Amino acid sequence: MQQKISILIIEDEKSIRDFMKKTLESYGYRAEGVATGTEGLGMINSYVPDLVLLDLGLPDLDGLEIIEETRKWSSMPIIVISARNQENEKVEALDLGADDYITKPFGTDELLARIRTAIRHNNLIHKEKGKADKPYIAKSLKIDFEKRLVLLNGEEIHLTRVEYKIVSMLAKNSGKILTYANLIEEVWGPHADDNNRILRVNMANIRRKLEQNTGEPEYIFTELGVGYRMLEDEGEN
Amino acid sequence: MLLGIFRKFSIISMFWTIVLFITVTIIAFFFQELASDPTLNIAMLYTLGAFITARYTEGYLYGFIYTLASVFSVNYFFTYPYGLVNFTMRGYYVTFIGMFVIGIITSILSTNIKEQSIVLLNQEKALAKKEKQILEIQKEKMRANLLRAVSHDLRTPLTGIIGNSLSYLDMEEELSSQEKRELIENINTDASWLLNMVENLLSVTRIDNVTAQVNKTLEAVDEVISAAVIKFKKHFPEAKVKVSVPDDLIMAMMDAMLIQQVILNILQNAYIHSKSTKPLELTVNVDEDNIWFKIKDYGIGISEDRLLNIFDGTGKRKEKEQLDGHKGMGIGLSICKTIISAHSGKITAQNHSEGAEFIFSLPKEKEEK
Repeated sequence: MQQKISILIIEDEKSIRDFMKKTLESYGYRAEGVATGTEGLGMINSYVPDLVLLDLGLPDLDGLEIIEETRKWSSMPIIVISARNQENEKVEALDLGADDYITKPFGTDELLARIRTAIRHNNLIHKEKGKADKPYIAKSLKIDFEKRLVLLNGEEIHLTRVEYKIVSMLAKNSGKILTYANLIEEVWGPHADDNNRILRVNMANIRRKLEQNTGEPEYIFTELGVGYRMLEDEGEN
Repeated sequence: MLLGIFRKFSIISMFWTIVLFITVTIIAFFFQELASDPTLNIAMLYTLGAFITARYTEGYLYGFIYTLASVFSVNYFFTYPYGLVNFTMRGYYVTFIGMFVIGIITSILSTNIKEQSIVLLNQEKALAKKEKQILEIQKEKMRANLLRAVSHDLRTPLTGIIGNSLSYLDMEEELSSQEKRELIENINTDASWLLNMVENLLSVTRIDNVTAQVNKTLEAVDEVISAAVIKFKKHFPEAKVKVSVPDDLIMAMMDAMLIQQVILNILQNAYIHSKSTKPLELTVNVDEDNIWFKIKDYGIGISEDRLLNIFDGTGKRKEKEQLDGHKGMGIGLSICKTIISAHSGKITAQNHSEGAEFIFSLPKEKEEK
């Protein structure tokens, strides 16, 4: 029998903690809930869950501190739950090492999808280190990382070197959000200007090449003020 | 009168008047030595001095003192008999009274010009202040309207949530599963509505209270539009929107979250109220100075009296509308206006032959700062 995936919920609001715990348990996860940051940190260290759902607005500790503490020794997926529509808070959490975020209020579908993505990526990091990347496949888009080939409806799409770098980075992390800073650093190096205009221009060109209607994208989604997220890969499980 | 003069008396002005007088007198000695007809030059020099004195001091006092002093100075230093005050020589009365009168008139005229320009300046200032006050009042009015709309629009769904959940808790035994489901569905609808409202209200907090300005960054218009449309479709999965943006990349300075909220509000308003028979259309166009966003529906249109104050949050909803369960979009549209104004843009609503359309503009990006 397969081990159940364990999830730690750090959330001070009882009704939300209960709702998440019930939902996760009914979908076959093992869930634990705690109400404070101190308890949360203790649980992360002793119970070592497979994934952490972390509310940033805790009464005792700043949620960001918990991310920092955990990242000192573990790469376990952390999904931040944010009640505020403050992009910079999300960006900060992601840049500190959180894997993803979800904004309150969220539906069950969204929560489960984020959890699946985060766990899958975490497994990939561990299992496939050094192994050649499998192609990305979603809807009519296929990206072959070995041949550096991007195919839409079977036809090759010509991307510039920079555009390809961006797309392949997003595709390898499909389903996950990448911040502007993430992408800029990956593509232009750590000393690049943090002016994200050049990134926007490249993204606009990519959208024009990949999307039918740039106003209603199918593959690459904008998370306003935070970054970009690519449609989840269908090719792997 | 005399008191008035003394009240205006200032050591500094007196000091500069004396300095000017001495300077003029020294230059006059040069003319006396070097010019062929020194008297003419000297008289003009003193008149110029009178003009300058009046120009740079307040009131008539210093010009008067200066002119009087120059009459005596000319008589003493530069006219025969030199080194004596003597007005009794032939023609001297006319000469010196003339000089005195010319000096006084010059200084009075220049003081008047100066004071007029000060008056003008003050008028301008007063006008600017008044405009600011009017703006302030408008803002105040907007806030009051908003608050009124909020208290109504928040109470209604909350009442629904409390009522429905209480019914469930009180009568759990007696209710059929169908009735239970209905109660929960009502709670869900009201809660979604409430969320929508709260997000609108929160968006206002991103606008600076004092300057009514927002924190703008350079954003790609199609990214903001797609984000808004995706969010809209999440709320209303069955809604249809036709999006068309120009092929060129358009960037504009904006608070993307706020502009997203504006698009979302207008789309929601159109979807809920217009009874559109075709998909909504969201179009972006660009001209010299502005980016134009147009959201068009093919529905019942908006009544004329509603159009008049559709953005100020007071728009009276018709009884019918209130009864059919859809709460008004009072807050949403007034927030749109607030947001667009904070971006120095314009927002309008109008009917077209087959429905209604909302148009708003954002100023085009001027080269980056």
